[in-house]
Amino acid sequence: MFATQLKYDLLMFSREIFYMVFTIIVPPMTYLFMGQLFGDAMYAGNLSYAETYTPSFILLITFGVIFFAFGFDQVMNRTTGVEKRINLSPVSKRTLLVSNILRSIIITSFGYFLVFFIGMIAYDLSFQPFNFIFAFVTFIGFNAALLVISSAIYSLFTSMNGALVFSIVIFQVVMFTGGFTMPIDMMPKFVQVIADFNPLYHMNQLFIAVWNGQFQIDNSTLQSIGFIIGCVLVSLFVLRFLNKARK
Amino acid sequence: MEIIQVSNLQKAYGENQVLRGIDFKAQAGEIIGVIGKNGAGKSTFLEILMTLKPYDNGNVLLFNKELTDLSTGQLEDTRKDISVVLQPTHFYKTLKVVELLKLFKAYYNSQVPIEQIITDFNLQPHRKKYFDKLSGGWKQIVSLAIAFLSEPKMLILDEPTTGLDPHMRNLLWTYITEYNKRTGGTVILTTHNMDEVELYCNKVMLLNEGINEVFDTIEGILSTGYKSINDFYLSKVSI
Repeated sequence: MFATQLKYDLLMFSREIFYMVFTIIVPPMTYLFMGQLFGDAMYAGNLSYAETYTPSFILLITFGVIFFAFGFDQVMNRTTGVEKRINLSPVSKRTLLVSNILRSIIITSFGYFLVFFIGMIAYDLSFQPFNFIFAFVTFIGFNAALLVISSAIYSLFTSMNGALVFSIVIFQVVMFTGGFTMPIDMMPKFVQVIADFNPLYHMNQLFIAVWNGQFQIDNSTLQSIGFIIGCVLVSLFVLRFLNKARK
Repeated sequence: MEIIQVSNLQKAYGENQVLRGIDFKAQAGEIIGVIGKNGAGKSTFLEILMTLKPYDNGNVLLFNKELTDLSTGQLEDTRKDISVVLQPTHFYKTLKVVELLKLFKAYYNSQVPIEQIITDFNLQPHRKKYFDKLSGGWKQIVSLAIAFLSEPKMLILDEPTTGLDPHMRNLLWTYITEYNKRTGGTVILTTHNMDEVELYCNKVMLLNEGINEVFDTIEGILSTGYKSINDFYLSKVSI
């Protein structure tokens, strides 16, 4: 039953143009396009465009997949009655949840290798086995954190329209305040303040450091890790509270 | 054989007491219509039977098992014997009819061949269509085909023919009555169409203000002087 569920979960994702465009098509295209504009520039930590933005765009794909195909999808199934019909079947909630999580990890991993491959072909991105493995482990950790945060946020929505508007707006907010378009320290002060409250910004900074072998424990990284853990804990509390309230 | 036994069932949503003490029984092979005006508690009653909703007081025994005593795993097991058709019916919109059948076959661990279901329900022309692109009538037929995949002991239909044209309504009822005769399965349904109740049901339960005001056979109701079930309904239920 699990294999069948996962197969159809992946098939459904591939048939949703909205998800595909925002997750698998737009971010890699933007990565390529921006590379043509800023490919020769150098960034913080003496890193090239590819070294800085390859992990960033992998994270952006991860965010897109998890917020759209996991979070928004939950709202869509809940509000249209699909969830109710599925709940009436003898399939366990655990099977559905694990399949959904695995689907997200498979798709985001595909995004990971896609952007990495583009980086190698277009921008001579080097492959360093230790950094690559450490980065992939970090990426899986961020996957888990984003799954929890997304699940908590979207469990608050009772209408699909509200969730759709939120998804589109939050995508823009994350793009600009997460350091995915241009370095945050080049942005206006208010954007920098918002960035401090954006978990994706902290993930992005950590992921760039891990990707390039520059990760070290200092005040800045501890603050970022602490903020991400805080967001996850608040999300778990929200999920627990809502589950109790629904019973 | 008794499939459902309900006594003094009560359910409230906050201050709103929806069910105020329902008593109900269903034997294997019966087709029972649950009628009443909108807001009478029909859907809540059915959702409790579907094991979807908890209740505040009373007893609900499905297949001789008290629902409140069942663990989550046991509830999932019980659902193998129950199938439902909801109104409106929604399934994953980006799956095709044949894919939906395969997915639900896996859920129910069904031994019924997909091709047999497709043939039985005349779904061959629609097998590669997305569920979302089907007409309302065909959506209900697909929903019924999925419901029959499990060869359920109990079939619950929530306003199954609402919005269907006479041909599709007739087709749907042909499948339901054929299933009832072939398997001896119990059918519980809500509807606002009193002609269907008179034509196809063995028994009727009239819910009014959260109480089962009448629970009797069609013959029993008509023998008290009503010309039809529609006549009975209009005289019992005010706007």
